[in-house]
Amino acid sequence: MQKKTAYSFPDEILEHVFSFIQSVKDRNAASLVCKSWYEIERWCRRKIFVGNCYAVSPTMVIRRFPDIRSIELKGKPHFADFNLVPDGWGGYVLPWISKMAGAYPWLEEIRLKRMVVTDESLELVAKSFTNLQVLVLFSCEGFSTDGLAAIAAGCKNLRELDLRDSEVDDLSGHWLNHFPDTYTSLVSLNISCLGSDDVSFSALERLVGRCPNLRRLLLNREVPLDKIANLLSRAPQLIEFGTGTYAAELRSDVYSNLAEAFCNCKELKSLSGFWDAVPAYLPVIYSVCSRLTSLNLSYAPIQNPDLTKLVSQCPSLQRMLVLDYIEDSGLEVLASSCKDLQELRVFPSDPFGEEPNVSLTEKGLVAVSSGCPKLQSVLYFCRQMSNAALVTIAQNCPNFTRFRLCLLDPKIADYRTLQPLDVGFGAIVEHCKDLRRLSLSGLLTDCVFEYIGMHAKKLEMLSVAFAGESDLALHHVLSGCESLRKLEIMNCPFGDKALLANAAKLETMRSLWMSSCSVSLGACKMLGQKMPRLNIEVMDEKGPPDSRAESDPVDKLYIYRSVAGPRFDMPPFVWTMDEDFASELS
Amino acid sequence: MELQLGLSLPSTPIFPFKMLDLNSYGYELREGLGPFGINVNNNCDSCSSSCSSSSSGGADDGGGGTKKRRLFDEENRIVPKTLPLLFWTNQRPNDEDEPKDVDDHSSSAIFKNDGEGLVGWPPVKAWRKKVRRRVANVRAAVENSCGGRASSSTYVKVKMEGNAIARKIDISLHHSFESLTTTLMRMFDISDENGQKSFKLTYLDREGDWLLAEDVPWRTFIGSLKCIKLIRSRC
Repeated sequence: MQKKTAYSFPDEILEHVFSFIQSVKDRNAASLVCKSWYEIERWCRRKIFVGNCYAVSPTMVIRRFPDIRSIELKGKPHFADFNLVPDGWGGYVLPWISKMAGAYPWLEEIRLKRMVVTDESLELVAKSFTNLQVLVLFSCEGFSTDGLAAIAAGCKNLRELDLRDSEVDDLSGHWLNHFPDTYTSLVSLNISCLGSDDVSFSALERLVGRCPNLRRLLLNREVPLDKIANLLSRAPQLIEFGTGTYAAELRSDVYSNLAEAFCNCKELKSLSGFWDAVPAYLPVIYSVCSRLTSLNLSYAPIQNPDLTKLVSQCPSLQRMLVLDYIEDSGLEVLASSCKDLQELRVFPSDPFGEEPNVSLTEKGLVAVSSGCPKLQSVLYFCRQMSNAALVTIAQNCPNFTRFRLCLLDPKIADYRTLQPLDVGFGAIVEHCKDLRRLSLSGLLTDCVFEYIGMHAKKLEMLSVAFAGESDLALHHVLSGCESLRKLEIMNCPFGDKALLANAAKLETMRSLWMSSCSVSLGACKMLGQKMPRLNIEVMDEKGPPDSRAESDPVDKLYIYRSVAGPRFDMPPFVWTMDEDFASELS
Repeated sequence: MELQLGLSLPSTPIFPFKMLDLNSYGYELREGLGPFGINVNNNCDSCSSSCSSSSSGGADDGGGGTKKRRLFDEENRIVPKTLPLLFWTNQRPNDEDEPKDVDDHSSSAIFKNDGEGLVGWPPVKAWRKKVRRRVANVRAAVENSCGGRASSSTYVKVKMEGNAIARKIDISLHHSFESLTTTLMRMFDISDENGQKSFKLTYLDREGDWLLAEDVPWRTFIGSLKCIKLIRSRC
């Protein structure tokens, strides 16, 4: 126990000071100063972020932090988004909800990402957390509209319900009816992922009509265009709106109603949706365009010139998501019109086609990098790139924090020189000192990894595919990137050496994913034996690893640090290489 | 930043690393080749050209796949059969000993992403892929004046006049008005005797018009069908 001196603060004062420290990172730092700070801090921590739900157990969290009001949990590895993680892998939220139900009755916020959420979990949430205000299910799955009905009925204080990108079993659109007539506190509703065309529209209208604080409404695709005007007229205070399907026969009454409705939304700053959009109805949003800071057209099959014309009307844009129909010409217009642009994402309209269907090349990105001085975050899918372009981009945008380039042909070289793209990406990491996230693609040798290890000191997340030639590449990254937290690798010739030589580094990271690489079973076992605070999970759908030779490469490998030990909810195709496993076979 | 786990690092690496001598550890990588026999050297002209050809649908590569699988079994021994990389067409052309069996689609079964190429590449979210297919189909339908379905789903909504509940049927299971009508009558419990006479089959086409199904050939009907309505016959 800390000896109280004349100079030590009473606990209440420290607690009051801590209440101003909101950042989780700072809180963590404060808790390490001394034992009494640790104690005080843990009693007054209200918000927790668990980046890997298997890194710690709910019991441990509850034991350390007795009074949490807000929790964020992440489950599956990022590559699950691209179908690399088989169904049944894990990431179940029920054990967390069950434990928290008893320990945190005052829980207000639950945010989950890539987790398996069942109707049972949602029913338990509704029953246990009467004060729940925020429920965000980002890229989750495993639940149906029945679970949502329970939430609607049970969470009287719900302000935010966000189902973004989740897979929901649409059993009935009538779950919206379960919000009682007395419920008026909705502020944010995102149902854009729901597929059912039976969403009870009248219930939605009534809900929107009785919630005066509704600021964010993202509809699902099935809401027809002619219904939107009515909805908007009930919620002119909206700041963010996502349409449903944006296609319909052109009818002047629908058109003018829509135009008027949009015009009356004086605070609208963000638009999305636009599924199946037809150019005829685009001008109805022109009245809003000058105010728009965020525009998501990535589901809209609109092409130039309509697309470019729309973009040119939005000078305040900070965030732009669009399909590659925008082409280089559209991006040039974007570059000259939108000087506040911070984030750009260009998605492929035909990712699996062999031939380019649009004229989108590296030139578009170069133009935006040149014209938009505040550009910080890029996700760009295209079919060709050159080192020269990447160098120019890097020089134009030293403030990049996120740079993700995806060349549709994963091992394509510089189209002008036929060289690997090492120099280009090297320039990115060299100039962009604050780069936190990087995704590589194209033909890349070990050189690019040397550059990354040398320069990317703030890099936290690196995604690599079809790159490199040897273990040296992996070694450069593991030994050089001091801030690295997440590393995900697919289809690279990286093997045991770099991994074993940098085993200690793995304990400083959240996780490492390697699939279709050359890591041998023997190396996994060795890591499992020597590193008890790492969970070494080998995923193989062909059969148990002990039926194979030590030198056989494993199909998929997921390594993460954990204080909770190996997990027990693994499906048959996942094996943990822990001490027991290794000794069973020796 | 996540929960501080308070881990202390060992002061020296478990496996001291001096000079990484790539030739002396574990199994050898073949000269100039990655473990899957793919040329990972700098001059990747062959790589990039064959990469683009390999990105096409997996079903087409079904035949070549059998051939490649055997190659790897004999030469490399280290590559499990289910890895999709096996089916890249980046192969040396000196093993033409097997006839290409174009009917063999067993290898395409291992493409976990519906035969659209390499698993996990390009990294497009599954959610977007579904949407994109529909977007592309909408575009195709708009461009083509005949054929082409407005969405990749073959289910169409069916309503009956006087009946509040809409149903859905899989239109791809039918190839004639007879089979469609029979199914619809069964679905809505219309007896055979009266059914044919008292109900007419109408449909909404892509242009937004309601048309009588009996007025058009089956192909036209299928090509522009959006949804179906059974209305009571007035005559």
